[in-house]
Amino acid sequence: MKRLRIYLIVMSVAVLLIGGGTIVSEAAAGSRSESEAVMGQAPSPQAENDTCLACHSQPGFSVQLKSGEPLPLTIDPQAYAESTHGSNDVTCVTCHSDIEGFPHPERTAESLREFKLDYYTVCKNCHEEQFNLTLDSVHEKSLAAGNLEAAVCTDCHNPHTQQRLTDPQSGELLDYARLHIPQTCAQCHSAIYDQYKESVHGKALTEDGNLDVPTCTDCHGVHNISSPLTASFRNSIPFLCAECHTNNALMRKYGLSTQVLNTYVADFHGTTVVLFDKTFPDQPTNKPVCTDCHGVHDIARADDPNKGLAVRENLLARCQVCHPGATANFPEAWMSHYIPSPEKYPLVYYVNLFYKFFIPAVLGPMLLLVVMDFSRAMINRYKEKKAVKPLAAPADAPAETETKAEETPAPEAVEETPPLEANEPVEEPAAAAAPAEAQEEPSVEEQPGEAEQAPAESEAADESKSADEEETSHD
Amino acid sequence: MSGNATTSLPPVRHERTFPRFTAAQRWEHAILLLSGLVLLLTGLPQKYREFSISQDLLSTPERVELIRQIHHIAAIVLALEALYHFGRILYLMSKRRLPGDLLPTWQDVRDAGHMLQYLLFLRNDKPKFGRYNFEQKVTYWFVFFGVLIMGVSGFIIWFPVFFTKFLPGGVVPAAKLAHSTEAIVIAIFILIWHVYHVHIERTNLSMFTGRLSEEEMRTFHEKEYERLTGGSLKVKSGAKK
Repeated sequence: MKRLRIYLIVMSVAVLLIGGGTIVSEAAAGSRSESEAVMGQAPSPQAENDTCLACHSQPGFSVQLKSGEPLPLTIDPQAYAESTHGSNDVTCVTCHSDIEGFPHPERTAESLREFKLDYYTVCKNCHEEQFNLTLDSVHEKSLAAGNLEAAVCTDCHNPHTQQRLTDPQSGELLDYARLHIPQTCAQCHSAIYDQYKESVHGKALTEDGNLDVPTCTDCHGVHNISSPLTASFRNSIPFLCAECHTNNALMRKYGLSTQVLNTYVADFHGTTVVLFDKTFPDQPTNKPVCTDCHGVHDIARADDPNKGLAVRENLLARCQVCHPGATANFPEAWMSHYIPSPEKYPLVYYVNLFYKFFIPAVLGPMLLLVVMDFSRAMINRYKEKKAVKPLAAPADAPAETETKAEETPAPEAVEETPPLEANEPVEEPAAAAAPAEAQEEPSVEEQPGEAEQAPAESEAADESKSADEEETSHD
Repeated sequence: MSGNATTSLPPVRHERTFPRFTAAQRWEHAILLLSGLVLLLTGLPQKYREFSISQDLLSTPERVELIRQIHHIAAIVLALEALYHFGRILYLMSKRRLPGDLLPTWQDVRDAGHMLQYLLFLRNDKPKFGRYNFEQKVTYWFVFFGVLIMGVSGFIIWFPVFFTKFLPGGVVPAAKLAHSTEAIVIAIFILIWHVYHVHIERTNLSMFTGRLSEEEMRTFHEKEYERLTGGSLKVKSGAKK
């Protein structure tokens, strides 16, 4: 019975495997032959495109939409062939997949914009990663909120002429693309572009072709451009700027300091902003970030006469935005990213220097004195205990004195005691006559009952001894 | 029983106490202690913001504002106390009744040298002190100048716009540095010096009780004790027995 069941299971698995394998291989063979057929029969991409271009390369070819706008239908075959799509064998119908022949299917879009918005989602078929990133962008949110002018793929990338933007190996932005970005954004954000191209960064990029400077996407991101107006964006600005401005190699090239972030963080404003950025980045702060003083798109050199912050009046104007009563001395309260030195902010430098010496020179000895005082007190207490012990148990006293005698030579003890006793006031023969020094030797004469009082009294006796000394010296 | 006691037991030792601090002085100390503690507790998180506990405390602008307000209120309390203290000094000076006990003297330097010898086992007797020993004087003047520095620098960073009307702007970052460093200096000072001397070396609560016992006076302020009791050590020895 059991054997039969195993046999059945094994057989059915075998049948399934063989059967499945045959179907898969048949399907594979079928698809192969199909694709062979396509390769054999269908025209090359160029030939396929030529079919379309037969009409669509005519100059001035357009149709009028319901809105009255003309929908341009001319494609420059040369430009398309040179574009990244054209050179990678992307055909017209790869994107215009709903067109199979003539007449073309009817369009419902009433305006040019509507037409674009209907079409741009086809980009997702090949560029899914980038397309998904745009779904998080401020543009997409604006579009969803009803702003039909918000940028979609094809507003930045013209699919019929788009050149390759990134290096196929490294994925990094190509120089040409980098230089071209501000113009792309300027199609909509022209006022910002006008500011940017006059700024220290923008001038270097647009006039000198300098690729070290930030372009739009370096600060704002590419496809998932977030809103720069949120609190979290604002709180992160110091780190955004610091990406370049703490880069040693890059800053050395232009003689700029890399201390800008830590000097900012060390001061009032920066401490709070950085704290918020760390804890709850979404909270708005009224503390300034880099851009509040240096400007956003119109960032100027520090020594620029009109905007540069090295010019005190320019800095004062910035201070007064938040500190309305600020006067000419006030901007100096901010150390302008300098590390204090004898030349720059000497007062701060010398205060720091003072404490550098003051703390070890004053608190150090104080700590030492306290430790010494504590150890001396402990040693005194230990000696007192040693002195008191034999008194507590008089029976052991002789034995104790014997062991003591081994440690400290007996004659010395005998020598020491008489002069000490001579110093003592006569009224206290027994208890008080045992000063701290004398307690090293067990004073066997003392009565057990008095033992507890001994430490305090001996201390007092010690004092009275020195007091006597002083009295005599006064005389 | 009582009859027995008078005959067989030694006479009951009657401990005299000596006034040390007036009620006003004790209140001053209490205000200094409390406001200083609040200032320290609200100041430290602002100084050490990299610690997670500070970040928890200061994580929202409202909390930053609250902590700063508490700090400012405590600062005003301490400033008023300091003003009262200065005012009283000036008043007593004008009446020529300011006791000079706390002023540093050469005797304090000699006492410190003496103490050092004692601590190095070069001498076996401690120096005899007057009303205030050099350690207590150091405490007073350290806190005196500490509060002065903290107060001046604190108000400069609290009202930078006002102070830069007549002072160079550089005083603001300098005040910030001084305020934040001096705070730590005072805190460490109190911790190692003051706490040691009044709690570990011996428990000296005269700043709260206002009085010192005869025993304490004799042991720790012998010169003052002699001055108050007529200076005779024989009297003392007799009293003790």
